[in-house]
Amino acid sequence: MSGICRTRLAEERKQWRKDHPFGFYAKPTKLSDGSMNLMEWEVGIPGKQSTPWEGGVFKLMMIFPEDYPSKPPKCKFTPALFHPNVYPSGTVCLSILDEEKAWKPAITIKQILLGIQELLNDPNVNDPAQSDAYTMFKNDKVAYEKRVRAQARENIPK
Amino acid sequence: MSSDYEYSDEDGDYYDDELMDEDDQDSAPSEEEMDIDAFDGPIKEKRKAYQVDFITLSKQDVEKAMDENIEYITGLFGIEPEAASLLLRHFEWNKEKVTEKYIDNQSGVNAAAGVSAKTTPPRSATSGPSRSTRRTAPASSRSKKSLSVEGPFVCPICFDDTQTRTLALACSHKFCTECWMAYATNKIKSEGEFKITCMAEECNLVATDSFIQSILTTDPSTFDRYKELLVRYFVSCNRELKFCPYPECAQTVSCPAAASKFALTTIIPIVNCEEQKHKFCFACPIEDDHRPLICTVSKLWSQKCRDDSETANWIKSNTKECSKCQSTIEKDGGCNHMTCKKCKYEFCWVCMGPWSEHGTAWYSCNRYDEKDSIDARDAQSKSRASLERYLHYYNRWANHEQSAKLSMDLYAKTEKKMEEMQLTSALTWIEVQFMRKAVDEVFRCRMTLKWTYAMAYYLQKGNQKEIFEDNQRDLEKAVEDLSELLEQPIDAETIGLLRQKVTDKTVYVQKRNEKVLEDSAAGYLEGRWKWNVTVEGFD
Repeated sequence: MSGICRTRLAEERKQWRKDHPFGFYAKPTKLSDGSMNLMEWEVGIPGKQSTPWEGGVFKLMMIFPEDYPSKPPKCKFTPALFHPNVYPSGTVCLSILDEEKAWKPAITIKQILLGIQELLNDPNVNDPAQSDAYTMFKNDKVAYEKRVRAQARENIPK
Repeated sequence: MSSDYEYSDEDGDYYDDELMDEDDQDSAPSEEEMDIDAFDGPIKEKRKAYQVDFITLSKQDVEKAMDENIEYITGLFGIEPEAASLLLRHFEWNKEKVTEKYIDNQSGVNAAAGVSAKTTPPRSATSGPSRSTRRTAPASSRSKKSLSVEGPFVCPICFDDTQTRTLALACSHKFCTECWMAYATNKIKSEGEFKITCMAEECNLVATDSFIQSILTTDPSTFDRYKELLVRYFVSCNRELKFCPYPECAQTVSCPAAASKFALTTIIPIVNCEEQKHKFCFACPIEDDHRPLICTVSKLWSQKCRDDSETANWIKSNTKECSKCQSTIEKDGGCNHMTCKKCKYEFCWVCMGPWSEHGTAWYSCNRYDEKDSIDARDAQSKSRASLERYLHYYNRWANHEQSAKLSMDLYAKTEKKMEEMQLTSALTWIEVQFMRKAVDEVFRCRMTLKWTYAMAYYLQKGNQKEIFEDNQRDLEKAVEDLSELLEQPIDAETIGLLRQKVTDKTVYVQKRNEKVLEDSAAGYLEGRWKWNVTVEGFD
């Protein structure tokens, strides 16, 4: 099983380096001895242009379980994001990341990241994960957008 | 119809009949009436008014029933059995619904149920898995996915290009067998899922049983688990069936009498699986034998106990209510001069009277009998009455449960003693068995008593309730007497007398218990029981 997991991740990395969408980055983290840790990736997701998320690149950790790709990776914004579908812990709530919903072993890292980017400006109100962003999104769109813009400014890459 | 059935008749014919009846009942609106008729019909020797008819089915029996449903759909539409099976699963094994929807919109239903359109036209190519090797793999292996590579087959999941065995569902999304196996095993073992869709993104085709079997040829235990999940799902979809809730038990109980909600206003379907005698309620998740109280009211009571008991006990012993605004107040320190946070009323914690009349006697209230104080306490006690009432019933309910447990402990001790006696005296094994019978009966009766308290709590005041409580009292008295007898020390000289007494009492207790159960069962049928809360199915 773990054989599949590591070969697949190595291949994902190869494919990513060959070709990946503009503004994104994704790289395996390093262990304390300097070697590469394929099981945990640090990625950056840019906000889409002409949305309040524009300009920000949001840092996210992808943690792959041993039985990946049978099970999906855990995706966690660090620090946690102000967004209706992001848990206070930073974990993203998205159907393609839920093994009991739409996760399929054939879904690639690229597809996941594009899916999360899509979610940024198109939250799913039926599945709220944090109350702050959800209530503001529901009750006061203007204040919500202002807050999102501020968050994007805080996340402009240096 | 069902009155012809024998209680424990288990042969295949019987089951076939029963399934056909099920078909009839589904379409006949009078299903519920028929269920009731079964109880008015000639009462069999074995069944009492408070019991229900049921039979136990093995896993094979259930699988046979599943096959019959599949055959029906297969015959109707001329489709492959495996496609029929997927359709039935999609519509919760409701044949009528499958038929209706399939006629209505064949391709839509196929897509929703994850059935390949290729397998559904009459007698088409087999729906089994298409197997191929790397060399013979068709070039059109849908290499659309971003990660797939041209040339020799590379599995898009594991990127292993040395795999020679690949499998694909009818959608032709090919993956290596190892990936299929890992995926299916994960779904079945860790998620308990039997609907295993194609691994490709957004492909909703569902794997057929034979496909799963071919994936799992080297792991029969996972395939067994898969089949068990299918059986369990079928059982959960069928109102006449219930899986034995005990762990590791694979038996199913069929109890058509309890299948309709309406029937449950008159019967309490306590059943047991045949092999292990696990006793459970067919219609609700309460583990006890909750006779004589019907499921819906038992559920109300259990819920109330879960929510209220501890809280109510605590409130009762630690708080009082403000005599003015009835807010509940906990005194957590300080003197007896209380000021209600809410309405600012000042009163004495001891006598509950207004503080203004206390003068300077701040720490020792001697005004308990003054009129104002009495009035204040009256108001207090009124608002506490309902709490008291609940606790009255709850404490007795809980006490019988506790006592039932203790009587089993007592029996364990007694049994040891009896073993010794068999060795030291002339008594034989059979002669000391009266204890076992008595303890079993006490346990059974305490269960009944326990639930009579829950029932009494919800029964409307009146003659019927009084009669019910009379029966309850008689049984309780008899049970306590028998319990007391069981506590008596056993020695060789007096055991003869004790045995006589215990045996007599056991018979009497048994009769009282029958009386309570029979009368309450009759009461449901005659509509004698009125509740002090709204209960579904009652006026």
